[in-house]
Amino acid sequence: MTRNGSLRVVLQLAVFAIVMFVFISPASAIPAFARKYSLRCTACHESWPVLNDFGRNFRDNGYQLRLGRDDAVTADPGYWPVAVHITPRYLYTKATNQATDQGVKDIGSGGVADASIDLLMAGVLTQDISFLVVPTGFAADGNVHLESYWAYFSRIFKNSDWLNIRVGQHEVDLPASGHRGISLTDSYLLYSYHPGVPGGNNLSAYDMGENQQGVEFLGHDQTSLTRYSVSVFSAKDSLGSQNGLSSPSVYGHFQKYFRFKDGPVSEAEFGAWGVVANYPTEFLTSGGAPIPGSGSKLQSSTRYGVEANVWLGPTVAPLHLDFVYGHGSDKKELLMGADRAGTWNGAFVEAIWVPPTDLLHWGIFGRYDIIRNQNQSLSTAPSNYNNQDQWTLGARYTIAYSIRDEVAFHGEISSDKVKGIGIGGLDQRVDNIMLGVDFTY
Amino acid sequence: MFYRVALWVPVLTGLLLAAGSAEAANTGNAGNGKLVYQRYCLSCHGAQGNGQGEAAEYMSIKPRDYRQGTYKWRSTPSGSLPLDSDLEHTLLNGLYGTYMPTWRALDERSRLDVIAYIKTFSPRFTTEKPQDPIIIPPDPGYSDASVARGDAVYQKYNCAQCHGAGGQGDGPSAHELKDDWGNALVPYDLTKGHVKCGDKSTDIYRVFMSGLAGTPMPTFADSLSSTDAWDLVHFIQSLSPGYAKNMAGTVASTTAGGAR
Ligand code: HEC
Ligand code: HEC
Repeated sequence: MTRNGSLRVVLQLAVFAIVMFVFISPASAIPAFARKYSLRCTACHESWPVLNDFGRNFRDNGYQLRLGRDDAVTADPGYWPVAVHITPRYLYTKATNQATDQGVKDIGSGGVADASIDLLMAGVLTQDISFLVVPTGFAADGNVHLESYWAYFSRIFKNSDWLNIRVGQHEVDLPASGHRGISLTDSYLLYSYHPGVPGGNNLSAYDMGENQQGVEFLGHDQTSLTRYSVSVFSAKDSLGSQNGLSSPSVYGHFQKYFRFKDGPVSEAEFGAWGVVANYPTEFLTSGGAPIPGSGSKLQSSTRYGVEANVWLGPTVAPLHLDFVYGHGSDKKELLMGADRAGTWNGAFVEAIWVPPTDLLHWGIFGRYDIIRNQNQSLSTAPSNYNNQDQWTLGARYTIAYSIRDEVAFHGEISSDKVKGIGIGGLDQRVDNIMLGVDFTY
Repeated sequence: MFYRVALWVPVLTGLLLAAGSAEAANTGNAGNGKLVYQRYCLSCHGAQGNGQGEAAEYMSIKPRDYRQGTYKWRSTPSGSLPLDSDLEHTLLNGLYGTYMPTWRALDERSRLDVIAYIKTFSPRFTTEKPQDPIIIPPDPGYSDASVARGDAVYQKYNCAQCHGAGGQGDGPSAHELKDDWGNALVPYDLTKGHVKCGDKSTDIYRVFMSGLAGTPMPTFADSLSSTDAWDLVHFIQSLSPGYAKNMAGTVASTTAGGAR
């Protein structure tokens, strides 16, 4: 096989790996809180696991209701801050135009997929200091990793919600949470997309949806209708620069919600976000391999954009539309073989409908993700190389929820098409059908 | 092309919003309120509104049974139904020290809708009208002299019988008290720095003027002058640094949905 050919195989394996990663990427919802406060999941989740206004405010307040029953001593003695979440499911995946020794083929595979467990541990240590620890994995491969771990200090200035500090590995305050997305098969392309040279490597592994190690400064008004968040962190998957903060990066997000007393729109939100993640481009090496911490010549991956959310109908059973747009750019020094920076635009529209039926059992959702390259980092590459289109349709039916647990049927179909990344510039497509039982206790 | 599509979304959103800014309604929609109730309240107050949701069993202070139309925290006199604004006041503040959360993060529409719905559990709301709210004169202000006078009022009206000499809820009668639903009830410990429904001085004032319906906590409206009542408020406030003093606070309003 030629060098180029093997790189292509690597790239295809990477696409597969990403798809697989998405399937095991945990979604967080924490029935330990439901138990602690005797609320059903629906109190905090518009449609599980997407937070509603009450849930967002609860989270911003450091998982506290602030009525004298929050901390480890005043809380219900029966409360134990641990919850388990898992989704046994049947999954059929078909990937088109895959390279095999027998030529380019479509490959389909199906079965009850390997599932992993999230252990969600969260609570209040003492008034205004809360925590979250999420070990996840425990699947057939035996791996367990810490998906999140942080401590959150709320109300740094007494009685003001405008400064709270989170320290540890956390999800930055995304326009739509990557870990609390309603789809169990597709992640938001905009968060993880990287431009690239055909068959080439990108030194920046920045993924907005991935939890980052650092410090978050967050502020909000009393009901979280105006909020800001700034995270300062060392970008993940970097060999590190020589600075005090390796791979120094900063993410910021501002949101404002509006409410309407009458008419078809009950609530709307507008926001803006941006991030600069820096990765080293030169290293000292040992036996040819880069030495961690020896990186220098930082170059940036930047992403910035806007968002809008609209809730049609009553907020209790809304048709919730979420639109997020972003512009991304990776410096050419990050992209091996590039002759200029790679720039692109991405967006998604997501719709979540909670039909106004008795007990709000249903959640119906759909999403369209789109990536369009603007400047290919290799100016001779086809202008649509690595452009992507992805759609997702799904439904959840909650069989039962209580103050202790939740169990739901979850079904979805999705399709992700990528331009020109197959052998000979063929397009590739990954289709999914998933049917599962999602439960958490 | 991409930019143009992106640009259209905020424009369309703006149009939708403009269409939505019609005249606002003041009373809730009970039909939608039922869904609000199912989403947020059912686990405690129960599908029948009888206070026996799945969580009630594990609570020492039981969720309200709505069927009698008996509400503790009102701006209206003893024996009266509450105003919608009283119920909204409870939803905005929550009930400190109990399982009843604050619902201020909900939008106003949802709050008004759920209030309209919980009223449907009691026929009283169709046959009776709430009485006019008790007039609360402005807080004359916290002072040591007023606290001393309030101490005397506390003795005179024998509040200590239930609340104890130091206000800790440990008076001689404290252990025998039951509420109208037959549940044991202890007088609230006034030294904690919070009363259940709100932390403003007017929230304390209205407690002994309206009484807490359904509980042994009586109304003193017939015998207590408003000056005595304010002195009593200041005395209670002196029991803990937790109380915010000299706060003008909420003033009872006669219009539904008015008082914040
Ligand atoms: C986690 C349990 C819980 C939930 C959920 C809950 N409540 Fe309550 N609620 C209580 C308890 C307990 C009381 C009684 C407190 C007391 O009497 O000291 C109460 C009392 C009340 C009262 C009576 C106030 C008065 O003046 O007597 C109202 C009104 C009320 N709740 C409304 C609601 C509404 C509306 C919701 C949903 C939006 C709700 N509650 C959700 C536990 C809950
Ligand atoms: C017969 C017994 C009794 C007497 C006498 C009594 N109380 Fe109470 N009081 C109670 C009980 C019981 C409660 C708790 C009700 C509840 O939490 O549901 C209470 C609650 C209160 C509260 C807290 C209300 C809240 O929102 O949490 C205040 C303030 C209060 N009483 C003041 C007084 C004052 C002042 C007097 C004397 C003028 C007095 N009480 C006399 C039984 C009594």
